[in-house]
Amino acid sequence: MATYSGKRRRALILLALTTVMLITIDIRGGGASSGVRSLFGTVFRPVEGVARVVTRPISNAWYGITNYEDVVDENELLREKVAQQEGAAVAAAASVRLAQELLALNGLPTLAGINSVSAQVIGDSPSNFSQTVEINQGSESGIRVGMPVLNAAGLVGKVTKVYDDRSIVMLITDPAYALSVKIVKLPEEPVAPPPGEGAESTTTTTSTTLPAPTTSFIAGFTPGTTTIPNQVTRPTVQVPSLTVPSGNVDSVRETGVLEGRGPTRLPIVRFIDSSQRFGRVQVGSPIVTSGGSLSLAPPDIVVGTVSRINERLGTAGPVLEVSLVADLTNLSFVRILLYQPVTEQNGTTQTTVAP
Amino acid sequence: MIERVLAIVGSRWTRLVLVALVLLGIQTTLLNDLRPFGVMAQILVLFVASAGTIYGAEIGAITGLMVGLMYDAVLTTPLGSNALVLGVIGLLAGGLPYFVREPTWWSRVAVVVVLSALGEMLFPVFQALIGFEGWVQPRMLVVALVVATINLLLAPLVLPLTRWTLKESLVG
Repeated sequence: MATYSGKRRRALILLALTTVMLITIDIRGGGASSGVRSLFGTVFRPVEGVARVVTRPISNAWYGITNYEDVVDENELLREKVAQQEGAAVAAAASVRLAQELLALNGLPTLAGINSVSAQVIGDSPSNFSQTVEINQGSESGIRVGMPVLNAAGLVGKVTKVYDDRSIVMLITDPAYALSVKIVKLPEEPVAPPPGEGAESTTTTTSTTLPAPTTSFIAGFTPGTTTIPNQVTRPTVQVPSLTVPSGNVDSVRETGVLEGRGPTRLPIVRFIDSSQRFGRVQVGSPIVTSGGSLSLAPPDIVVGTVSRINERLGTAGPVLEVSLVADLTNLSFVRILLYQPVTEQNGTTQTTVAP
Repeated sequence: MIERVLAIVGSRWTRLVLVALVLLGIQTTLLNDLRPFGVMAQILVLFVASAGTIYGAEIGAITGLMVGLMYDAVLTTPLGSNALVLGVIGLLAGGLPYFVREPTWWSRVAVVVVLSALGEMLFPVFQALIGFEGWVQPRMLVVALVVATINLLLAPLVLPLTRWTLKESLVG
C-alpha cells in the first residue's frame, strides 16, 4: 500500500523540475545533453551487449517462426532479379561513368568527387515514435552531424547525432526529416516535326544553346575540374548530330521539399511550383536531391520516384507521394558522404555565394 | 560511513537503477527486434505502471521519472520528454489504491494494460507539444492496442519483479 512522506514528495518535485529543465536545455541545443547521453552510453553499452547475446536465440527463433516463408520467397525473387540485372549493371556502370565524366567536364558537381565512409547498421531506435538507426562509425571516421547517408539503392537519411565511434542516422521517413529535392522530368516520346522544320531542329549547335560554365555556382562545393574543352566554347564549331530539345535547360527539373511522415506512410514532396516551367509532374518521375549552398546533401542522389500526385486548389501546387528506392526496413550497410555545405563548416553561417 | 554506503547500495532506488538497466537492455535488443505487427512492445511503461499500482502514486511517479530519464538517454528525442510521460503514467497508476481498497492481481493487470495504451499515445502527443510534430496520426491507436495486448501477457511476469525491485527492505 502507498506510503507518503514529505521527503519523497520533495524528491518527486525535484525530479519533475529536472526533467523540464533538461527538455529546455536539450531543445535549445546545449552540449550538456550530449555529454549525459555519452556518459550513459558508456555505462549502458556493456549491459546492452550482454542483453543482445542472451536474447539473440529468442530473436532468431522468432524470425524463424514469422519470417521463414517470406525469406524463401524473397530469396527466389532476388536470385531472379540478380540474373536479370547482371547484364544491365555493366551497361549502367558505363553510363554512370560517362555521365560523371560529362558533369566533371562541365564543371558540375558529381558524387564521384566526394569521399565517403562505409558503416554497418547496429541497431534501430527502441521506440515506436522515432525513425532512426545507429551505425558503427562516428566522429573518429570524420562523420559530422548533417551528413547524408546512402545505401546501394539511394538516399537513406542524415546523421543527427555523432559520438566517437557511433552515430545516429535519422531516416527519410521520420516526420522531422526535410530535404530539398528536385523532380526529374521523364523523357517524352519523340514527336515527328512538321514538314520542312526537321532539318533546323536536328542541327542545333551547342554554341547557341549550351552555356559555357567556368566554375561551380554551388557554394561549398569544389568540382574536380572546370576546364571547358575548346570545341564546346568555340561558337563556330558545328555539331550536326547533336539534338537539343527546345527549352530543355529550363524544363528538366522542378524543386520541392521532401518530408517524412512515419514508417507507415510514404514521404511527400511539397512546395512544387505550379508547373509552369516543368509541365505536368508524372507518376514515375525520378526524385533526386537538389543540392545547393544550404542543402545538407549534394545534388543528384537518388531518393525515389513519384508514386502519387495529390493536386491542390489555388497556387499551393501539388503534393507528391514518394516511393523510396532504398528499403529502409532492411538496412545493413550504409555509406556516409563526407559532405558539408559551407554554411555548416567551422560552425559559422556564411551566406556568400561564389561568383 | 560503511553502513551509509551499504544502506545506499541496498536501497530500493539502487535496485531500481540496476533492474531498469536490464529492462532497458531488453527493450533495446529483444523487444526492438521482435516487433509484432511492426510495433515494439513497451516493457518500461509496463514496469512503471506496475510500480504505481503496487506502491502508489509517489513511488510510481519517481520510478517513471528515473526510468524515463534512462530511456531518454538512448533515444534521440529531447532528454526528459519520455521521463515526464512515464512519470505521469506512474502517477496515474498510483491512483488505483484510491479507487480500490484492496486491489487484486487482475485489477492491477487491468490498470497496467489501460495505462500502457495511454502511455503509448502520450509519447507522440507530448512530442507534438514540445514541437516535434508528425507522430500524432491514426497509427498511434494501432500501436497502443498492440502494446496493451503484449503488456497484458507480460504483466503477470513484471508485477512480481516490480514488487521485488521496489520493496523497502529485502530482509523479512
